Amino acid sequence: MKKSLFSKGLLLVLTAFLVVGAISGAAVAEEKVIKIGTLFPLTGPVALAGQRCRAAVETAAEVINNAHPELQVPLAAQEGVLDGYKFVLVHADHQGKPDVAKSEAERLFDQEKVWGIIGCYNSAATKPASFVAELKQRVFMCGCSSSGALTERDFKYFFRMAPTDKTESLEFVEFIEWANEHKGSDIKTVGLIYENTEFGKHAAEEGRMAAEAGGFKVVADVAFNPGATNLNSEVQTLKAANPDAVFGACLGGDYTLWVRTMKQMDWLPKVALNYCTGYQDPIIVGQLGDDANYFMGGTGYAPEFAELMPAVAAVEEIYKTKTDPSVPFDSDSIQEAVALLVLAQAIEKSGSLDPTVVAETLHANEWESPLSMGGKVAFAPGGQNIKAMSMLTQLQGGEYKRIYPVDLADTEPVIPMVPWKDR
Amino acid sequence: MNTTRKMSRKDLFWLGLLAFFAVIPLTPWFSHSSFAQHVMIQVLLYSSMAQAWNILGGYCGQTSFGHSVFFGIGAYGTGMAVVKFGLIPWPGILAGAVIAAMVAVAISYPCFKLKGHYFAIATFAIVEIFNRLFMVWYWVGGAIGLDYGFTEPGWKNFVWYQSKVGYFYGVLLLFVLVFGIVRWIEKHRFGFYLRAVREGQETAESLGVNSTRVKLSAMALSAFLAALCGAFFAQYNYRVDPPMVMSLDMSMKFVLITILGGLGTFYGPLLGAALLIPLQEYTRAYLGGIGGGVDLIIFGLLIVVVVVYQPRGIMGILDRIVNRIRRSEGGGK
Repeated sequence: MKKSLFSKGLLLVLTAFLVVGAISGAAVAEEKVIKIGTLFPLTGPVALAGQRCRAAVETAAEVINNAHPELQVPLAAQEGVLDGYKFVLVHADHQGKPDVAKSEAERLFDQEKVWGIIGCYNSAATKPASFVAELKQRVFMCGCSSSGALTERDFKYFFRMAPTDKTESLEFVEFIEWANEHKGSDIKTVGLIYENTEFGKHAAEEGRMAAEAGGFKVVADVAFNPGATNLNSEVQTLKAANPDAVFGACLGGDYTLWVRTMKQMDWLPKVALNYCTGYQDPIIVGQLGDDANYFMGGTGYAPEFAELMPAVAAVEEIYKTKTDPSVPFDSDSIQEAVALLVLAQAIEKSGSLDPTVVAETLHANEWESPLSMGGKVAFAPGGQNIKAMSMLTQLQGGEYKRIYPVDLADTEPVIPMVPWKDR
Repeated sequence: MNTTRKMSRKDLFWLGLLAFFAVIPLTPWFSHSSFAQHVMIQVLLYSSMAQAWNILGGYCGQTSFGHSVFFGIGAYGTGMAVVKFGLIPWPGILAGAVIAAMVAVAISYPCFKLKGHYFAIATFAIVEIFNRLFMVWYWVGGAIGLDYGFTEPGWKNFVWYQSKVGYFYGVLLLFVLVFGIVRWIEKHRFGFYLRAVREGQETAESLGVNSTRVKLSAMALSAFLAALCGAFFAQYNYRVDPPMVMSLDMSMKFVLITILGGLGTFYGPLLGAALLIPLQEYTRAYLGGIGGGVDLIIFGLLIVVVVVYQPRGIMGILDRIVNRIRRSEGGGK
C-alpha cells in the first residue's frame, strides 16, 4: 500500500514537472527572447565570487528587460532591445574546472541554444569555454578574467571588460616610482606571492616584467596552491627576503590566510599591492577587522567611488536584492554587469541578432558604460577593452580610499604600512 | 565444459555490447544531442579508466590512489607533442603511455614493499608530489598548462570541432582495447596469478608465483592503459594542466567508479561509469545553475544509498537480483 502511494506520488511529481516544463518551454518559444548563458564557479573554492558574478548579470538583465527611466544607463529607459526582445539567462556552474567549463559551454550552445555566453571568472575556465564559442562563431563576453593570454589569441568573438594583469602591474610600478619620488619611500626590491594557477602565474610574470623594467629587483617569487590551509613557509620565504614591496595574487580565503599569517610572523613590507583578488572583496573588512587596513590594490569599483561613478548607486540597489547576504558590487562582479549592458547596446545598434554582425559592431564602436571607471568601453583586436581602467586604493579605517592616480585620489597613502604592534 | 559454455555466453554478451555501442551514433537520440554524445563519451572514457585501475586494484588487490599521475603523464605526452613540438598527437600518445608505465614501475617497486593501507597512503603522496612538480615545471607549461590551438580536424590530429562522432569512435576503440585486454587477462594464466596475489600473497608465493613480478606487471599495464585514457582526455578538452589531470579528485574517480560498479569484476567499471557519469553530468546540467551545490548533494546522496544498500556495488545488486530470480524459479519447480 505504501509502495503504491509512493509510486503514485512519484508519478504525480514527474507529471507536474513535465507539464510545467512544457508550459514554460512554450512560453519561451512564443516570446521574443535572447538566451544568454552565464558560466561561473557556483560551487568550489571561489563559489561566492561566482554567485556574485551571476547576480550581477541578473541585475543587468533586469535593467535592460524592464523600463527603468530612473537609471542613468543606456537602454534602461526602454523595455528590452530590438523592439521588445528580452534577455533570458540560463545559468551553469563550471566548478572552477576547465574541462567542465568546456563541456558546459558546449551544452549551453547546443542544448540550451543560448545566443552567447558571459563568464567565467577563472581565467583557466574562460580559456576553453571561449575557445568553444569561437569555434561556433558565437559571442563570448568576459567580465573579469584577468589573464593577459585571453586577449592575445586574436579571437573575433571574444570581448573582455576588465583590465589585464599587465595593466595593473604597470600601475603598481608607476605608483611605487611615484611613492619613491614624492614620499621618499625608498622602495628598491619587490616580492611576488601568487596562487599557482593560470591567473596567478600570469599575474606574477607581468609583475616581474614590470618591476624589472622599472629598475626594481625581484627578490622573492613565492607560489602556493590555491585553497591552502597553511601559508607559513610561503610567508617565511617572503620575510627572509624582506622585499620593500609585495605584489599579491591571492583569491578568496587565501587572501585572509596570507594576511593573518603575516601578522603571526610579525612581518610587513612597506607596501603590499594586490591584483584584482581577495583584497577587493568587501567581506574581508569584516573578516580581518583592523588587520585588513593599509593593504593596497587595483580597484575597478568600490562603493566609495560613488562620486566618480554616480550612475552605479541606483543599479547597485537592484544588485543588493539579488545577493544573500546583501552586498554592494565589487571590482569583479560589476564587470559582469557591464558585459551584458555593453552587449545589449551592440545588439540594439547593429539591429541584428547575427553573432558576426554583433561582434563586428562591438569592435567598431565605443560604448557608453556608466558602470565602468572612465565611462567608456572599446575593444582592440583580440577583444581587450582598451578603455579599461582601475585605480589604486588603500584600505584605511575599513574603507577603500582612492590613493592613485593623484588627480583622482581622495586620501594620502600611508607608507610604510603601520606595523602590527602599533595597530 | 560448463565453464566453457558460460564463458562463451559472456563473450557473446560482450560482442553484443560492442555492436550496440558501435551503432549508437546512428540513432536520432545521439545525432540530435551533442550533450548526449558528450555523456556517452564520458561514460566510455571513465569506464576505460576504471577498468585500467581495476587490473591493479580489483584483480590484483593493490589499492592505488596514484593513478591520476599516470593519467596525467599520458595527457602531457600528447599535449607536449601537439603544443610544444607541433607534431601530430600519436607519437606523444605512445611516448606518454610508455613513460607512464616506466614511472609506474619505478615508483611502485619500493612502494610494493608496503602492504595494505600503507601502500594506499604512499600512492596518495605520489599524486601530491607529481602535482607540485608539474606545477613548477615550466618546460611542460607549469601551472598555466598547455593549450591547444586550432588544427585541422580529423583522425590525423585526433581533434574534431563541429561533431563528436570522431571522438565517440576514438573512445570506443580505447574502450575495446582496455576491456579486451582485461577480458583476455581474465582467461589467461596472468589473470589467475593476479587473483592469487589478491587472495593471499604468501600463499601465492608458496605455490611458485613471483608476487613482486606479478604486481609490477599489473602496475605497468594498468598505468599504460590509464595513460592512453589521459591522452584522450587532453585531446578531447584541448587543454591539459596539473589540477585537471594530476589530482586526488581525478584519482578518486578511478577508485570510486570501480567500487561502485563492482571491484574485481569485468563489467563493474562499465556499470559504475554508466551510473555515476550520467548522474554527475545531468545533475550538474539541470541543477548546477541553481548554485549552492544542489547537484553535488544529490550526486553524493545517491552514491551513499548505492554503497550502503550493496557494498559490493552494482554487480552485487545484479547478483542478488539474479539469485532471487533463480530461487523463485526453483521454488516454482
